[in-house]
Amino acid sequence: MNNENIVKIENLIKRYDQAGVIALDGINLEIKKGEFVSIMGPSGSGKSTLLNMIGALDQADEGSILVSGQNLMEKKDFSSFRSKEIGFIFQLHNLIPNLTASENVQIPMLQTDASDEEMVKRASELLTSVNLGNRKDQVPTKLSGGERQRIAIARALVNHPSIILADEPTGALDSKMGDIILELLRVIHEKENVTLILVTHEEYVAEKADRIISMMDGKITS
Amino acid sequence: MKFRSLIIKNIFRNKSRSILAIIGIAIGAAAILGLGLVTDGLAASTQQALTAGAADFTVLPSSFGGHGSGGGFGGGGGFGGSSAFNGSSGASFVSAGQTIDQSTLNSIQQMPGVETAAGVLRSATEINGTSQPLTLLGIDGQDLSLDDVQVTNGTAFTNSTQIILGTTAATGLNKTIGDEIGIDNQTFTVVGIYETGDYMSDRGAIISLSTLQNLTNTTGVSQILVKASNGTSPTSLSSQITQTYTNLTTSTSLSGFNRENNGIQTIESGSWAITLLVLLVAGVMVVATMMKSVSDRTREIGVLKAVGWNKRRILLLIIGESMILASIATVIGLIIGVGAVEALVNSHILHGIQLAFSVNLVLEAVGVALFLGIVGGIYPAYRASRLAPTEALRYE
Ligand SMILES: Nc1ncnc2c1ncn2[C@@H]1O[C@H](COP(=O)(O)OP(=O)(O)O)[C@@H](O)[C@H]1O
Ligand SMILES: [Mg+2]
Repeated sequence: MNNENIVKIENLIKRYDQAGVIALDGINLEIKKGEFVSIMGPSGSGKSTLLNMIGALDQADEGSILVSGQNLMEKKDFSSFRSKEIGFIFQLHNLIPNLTASENVQIPMLQTDASDEEMVKRASELLTSVNLGNRKDQVPTKLSGGERQRIAIARALVNHPSIILADEPTGALDSKMGDIILELLRVIHEKENVTLILVTHEEYVAEKADRIISMMDGKITS
Repeated sequence: MKFRSLIIKNIFRNKSRSILAIIGIAIGAAAILGLGLVTDGLAASTQQALTAGAADFTVLPSSFGGHGSGGGFGGGGGFGGSSAFNGSSGASFVSAGQTIDQSTLNSIQQMPGVETAAGVLRSATEINGTSQPLTLLGIDGQDLSLDDVQVTNGTAFTNSTQIILGTTAATGLNKTIGDEIGIDNQTFTVVGIYETGDYMSDRGAIISLSTLQNLTNTTGVSQILVKASNGTSPTSLSSQITQTYTNLTTSTSLSGFNRENNGIQTIESGSWAITLLVLLVAGVMVVATMMKSVSDRTREIGVLKAVGWNKRRILLLIIGESMILASIATVIGLIIGVGAVEALVNSHILHGIQLAFSVNLVLEAVGVALFLGIVGGIYPAYRASRLAPTEALRYE
């Protein structure tokens, strides 16, 4: 089961026609279930575009992409796929400023049929596991950058996803804070046995992963 | 957290913007309610004035008003009767020389489409012991309202020895209820004081028709007050009468009737125009507010999509927000609307209008505000639900 490919991509092409850009230029990639991989490359190389394809936030123009058994080239709404399979973490935490830490973590659960009590309980557990158990009723504006990113990690985990997609999660943090976040992600990967795909332009960050995929100009170079 | 708590929290997130939207919708609701109260009130007041009371038109002899038709005036001397006097008889009476006879009155009363036809005899006299002229009217007690007569003090007359005085006459003669008045060789007891709102009529006095007929030695009446039954057009009834009785003519208060009716229509269409305009402005305010609210949250909506929210949930969020805004605004609007109209009425700017509060009107205002909330929210919500998540997340 653990050797099964959770991501299987062949000849994937994504163009931004108006900009005249080929963001993904024939990507071939397989990622095993439970793997921790990093995608490294300079800015503009297509890392975020690839991550968004895997998370079904956008659709490719050509090729094939299968994630958790779902064909993402189909023409349909993938919101329920994202809700069940994917947990996103962005460079900016993207929390809702007027909601408490706990409420922010519960947001993805509003799309499920979880009860109010279940939501509160789950958010509380997760916030404790990212060492924010005592901050769950704070609004994000009262918290540090690292604390906000930890809330975002808890939010990504709330619906028990099979894949965590983290796009430059330490990009807005200083290196000390960044290290804490990376360590937290590594622990979560091990404890939850979740597939973790980490996008970064920094080599030392990429090196935390089991495998590094390098990108350049929309192609995988190694 | 419940979905509805999120909606409510979002509303209070940008207070000044929410307040702006609330004001917009509240003005809409207030205007609908306020204008509705005033126009419905006007219509009700006018309708009441038209239907309760006054006759639709008056039937008169054709030559009525022709000068000198009935011969010279008798010993009564000058008088200021408005119109109803001609001819003469007796020593102290100026009475109808030309009258409509009883059989004509009876047959008009039998005409289909006639609800009431009341004979009125008018004469001028003076009160014994004074030289003051007095307009004396003979009309049956139950028909008083047809001539716009309202007894404000005391009662109407019930027998041939009782009289009621117009307010001006009562003041001028210094007579009040219980006092006695001598006319010709008869003594009358004042049993009531009346008002018509018409200056000339309030200077007169009224006794029963048969009593005045006996006093003046006449059998007919000088005019007939006709009220058409419901569903009969007063205009066609009046022309039917003049066609049947060529010696009669009708003097209508119909022109007044129509004028007032047009007045209501003008007010109603004017208030509709204002209502539409207000709705338009309020609608634009809601749309603008929600559009701004959505565009400010573009990135956030991208995140909601990334964490698995579907289009329907995002639609519900935005429409929910605008519905809650609209509901708050409706309550405020209703209070403002009722308050403003009450204030106007109390300050006598809109004097004489009865406010017609009705459940319908309130429901209308509530409906309009909620409609504004939904419609104003739909387009922004649709836009939000259609946002491409990658675009939204790139947006700074
Ligand atoms: N929505 C878009 N419209 C036009 N061009 C885009 C869009 N998104 C990305 N691109 C372009 O595609 C290329 C890859 O972008 P991206 O995947 O964001 O790179 P990275 O994340 O590696 O910095 C870049 O040239 C970028 O300008
Ligand atoms: Mg990027």
